[in-house]
Amino acid sequence: MEKIANKVRETARLALANGEVNKILGWKKGDFWYDSYPAFITEEEGTASLIWDSFCVANLSKYLIEQLKEDIKVGVFLKGCDARAFNQLLKDNRVDRDKVVIYGLPCPGMIDPEKVKKAGLAKGLLDVQKSEDEVVFITKEGEQKFSAREFAYDKCLTCQYPNPVVYDELLAEEVERNNTTEYFYQDVEEIEKMSPDERFAYWVEQFSKCIRCNACRNVCPACSCEKCIFDNSKANVAGKAKVDSEEQFFHIVRAYHVAGRCVDCGECSRVCPVGIPLAKLNRKIIKDITEFYGEHNAGVNPSLDAPLETFKLEDIDPFETRAKGGK
Amino acid sequence: MKVLKKEKFPQIWQAINQAYELYLPIEKDDRVNFAQWTEGETVNLEALKTEISPKDVIFPQSETYLKFESDGKKLQLESVESENREYVLFGVRSCDAVSFNLIDNVFLREPIDRLYEKRRNKGTIVSLACSEPEENCFCSSFQIKPEEASPGVDVAAWDLGDKILWKPVTEKGQVLTQKFAQLMEDASQQDQEELIKLQNAIKEKVKELPLASVDPKVIKGELKEIFESKVWDELSQSCLGCGACTYICPTCHCYDIQDFAGGNCGERFRCWDSCMFSEFTLMAHGNPRTTQKQRFRQRFMHKLVYYPNNHGSYACVGCGRCIEKCPVNMNIVKVIKRLGGEG
Amino acid sequence: MSCSCHGHVDPLVPKIAVIEHIRKDTPDVTTFRVVNPAGGKSFTSLPGQCAMISVPPIGEAMFSITSSPTEENFLELSIKKCGIVTEYLHGLEVGSEIGIRGPYGNNFPVNDELKGKDLLFIAGGIGLAPLRSVINYIMDKRDDYGKVDIVYGARTPDDLVHKEDIFNNWPNRLATNVFLTVDRECEGWDGHVGFVPQYIKELGLDTNKVVLICGPPIMIKFVLQGLEEIGFKKEQIYTTFELRMKCGVGKCGRCNIGDKYVCKDGPVFRLDEIQRLPDEY
Repeated sequence: MEKIANKVRETARLALANGEVNKILGWKKGDFWYDSYPAFITEEEGTASLIWDSFCVANLSKYLIEQLKEDIKVGVFLKGCDARAFNQLLKDNRVDRDKVVIYGLPCPGMIDPEKVKKAGLAKGLLDVQKSEDEVVFITKEGEQKFSAREFAYDKCLTCQYPNPVVYDELLAEEVERNNTTEYFYQDVEEIEKMSPDERFAYWVEQFSKCIRCNACRNVCPACSCEKCIFDNSKANVAGKAKVDSEEQFFHIVRAYHVAGRCVDCGECSRVCPVGIPLAKLNRKIIKDITEFYGEHNAGVNPSLDAPLETFKLEDIDPFETRAKGGK
Repeated sequence: MKVLKKEKFPQIWQAINQAYELYLPIEKDDRVNFAQWTEGETVNLEALKTEISPKDVIFPQSETYLKFESDGKKLQLESVESENREYVLFGVRSCDAVSFNLIDNVFLREPIDRLYEKRRNKGTIVSLACSEPEENCFCSSFQIKPEEASPGVDVAAWDLGDKILWKPVTEKGQVLTQKFAQLMEDASQQDQEELIKLQNAIKEKVKELPLASVDPKVIKGELKEIFESKVWDELSQSCLGCGACTYICPTCHCYDIQDFAGGNCGERFRCWDSCMFSEFTLMAHGNPRTTQKQRFRQRFMHKLVYYPNNHGSYACVGCGRCIEKCPVNMNIVKVIKRLGGEG
Repeated sequence: MSCSCHGHVDPLVPKIAVIEHIRKDTPDVTTFRVVNPAGGKSFTSLPGQCAMISVPPIGEAMFSITSSPTEENFLELSIKKCGIVTEYLHGLEVGSEIGIRGPYGNNFPVNDELKGKDLLFIAGGIGLAPLRSVINYIMDKRDDYGKVDIVYGARTPDDLVHKEDIFNNWPNRLATNVFLTVDRECEGWDGHVGFVPQYIKELGLDTNKVVLICGPPIMIKFVLQGLEEIGFKKEQIYTTFELRMKCGVGKCGRCNIGDKYVCKDGPVFRLDEIQRLPDEY
């Protein structure tokens, strides 16, 4: 990845130097091995701090909404999932394609610091390097090698679009198109196998962990409303009480609002500070949409009509097709 | 000083639970958080810090304090008394214990917040020293000593392997100790020596931590100067405007008051709120903080400048939760360093 | 019921007040007179302090008390319709019960810096409400203060509040002048036309006095500029703020301007204090 990182820095430097863009959105390294964080760079010298490593998980495309309020041209580095998010923002009329230069980064999958920590490897860790399918943990005492898959984010294990679906320049060779080994709908099917009561109990318990921090919403590229109903006290539909009903209401409304627009980036699950498997809910909806209307992968091709935004006479009636009953 | 063998833990949890509500770090779905103990729960005192701070125990996320009934003309108001019993909060780390004192500074100054005061008075806090501080800990930046009993705790405890050393430090702590003394033994000379060894070891570990050199005193200048610093533009750009940092933070204590009604009657409750949210300062005729930069700045100015001006100490205890949980890795350490001129 | 039955009343718990009298001042400002259900004032206060008014289940909002502390039998609040709580309040009738808690905040220094001084009150629109509590207080203790000048403006003559006071009561008091202005020419109005800041300059007032200002932020901004041009010092000028307030007791953390809480350290600030604070109001 370091070779590509050099290319990232050079590309950014040139783009600012020749005035192709006014600002670069990339990632920088902070205090810790896992601390790769969004960087907003306007000066050529600043590009030297840009990085590309296995912790550049933050999706930079949603920042474009705010950044493009200024009349500037922005260069942005996007991974596979980030590029789908960009396309969805484009489809939702939240960004202007002409004001963005996309540098595509084929993504080998990101490493989940929590998995590293759980494996007891975080202590004294100085750096983590990834090459091909291997990950090397470097401490003062020496190096340890592992299979990278062991430490990949769950969402990366089932990723179907590691390569950017939209870009102006691709900075590396595409990675293998289908690097998934886990079955895409495995977690959804586990839920589907439950009885309605079990399923209800499962989600009640999950949602009851919610602390109403809105991290899932704010990170979500499909949640881009100017003013969210949950921020509008005048709308009088949402309260901030930590009670089950409010939490369920919030998550169910959100899941339905992003239905058909969710790009399956899995960021909602990643950022949830209390570990609610939110992406599972969205993926269930993706599965249903696929079964009812044929495969639709939001953000892959923004020129295609989204199934829930169009109506055809031959569309099935989900209520007829699916058994009713249960909670 | 007493000693409590770990094999006695199940017994003491049961015994405490008879007389008090008992809050412990409880593991569920691989995650550890403070929760009320019931038989069968997995207690995890090894995990250094809980995901969310234990402030929820002294300052619940939602708390109903008033019931009302109105027919549009006649209004009836009834204050709701909390039904909580006395409780024991067991296994609080030094950083979190100090955070309670910081919240006290606000809620217990005149006019005293009675709901909070009542809840606070009902609690007996047992701290547990941090044998293994983690990489993102920086409590020493705020003069917190994780090897010692933090000011305000009722009992201080240290993990000595197969037992914990138990030292009551307040009258409440004495009462708790006396109640369950039959489950404990007196600490031996050897235990005392082990304690000193452990404390020295912790001190050494804390010195070696990567963030040990973080020093909020690098932030200098007048309030307005810091407020107007250019650094805020740069730092706030990546902020998503969520409240994750606020809600997991042991010192954040801002709240909202809302009414919930069905028909003619309802309840008024207060609940945690976040200055990071867009409608936090929204009024009928405007909003003094319309941008995320302003809201981001407010949170850190509060912790690093406003609170210190009002109460004489920083409103951060260096627990490191925000370092771990911010979706985009923006946190108070980055802010302190940058305001201090670094980077 | 409302828990005055024991000593430890939580500051967040309101008590009941009854609307005893309603006066419509302008199309969108109404003055409510409230009393205890058994009669008498809900609480005593000082000029410039505020009350938190509760209308469950709509919510709570903070208002300045517009009646003078010398008024022994009731509290008055002049309320402009601009949000959900105020909208609800405007729909209430005499005899309706509301919740009230307070008094909150500091006050204009009527017993210290203002005593014995000539005073200049400058108000715009509903901004007269908090100043009225001071003016009426001073009128009741007239000998303790010097000359009083009141400059008050509104968009139209209809928008002037407390008409009885500004047209009849105050102008007839000793050493008291009331200068009224409206923004635009208007049928039936033969008084001054123009904005308050400009009017202040035209009046050519001497600067040996203490100034108390309240009005829309834009008016305050230009008035302050004007006053400094004339030669007033920051230490002579007081104003009062309104920000989002929830608890009223300096805890909930949303009405702060820098390290000051408007509900507790304010709402009254001297200009030199304000200038030390960030421009976030």
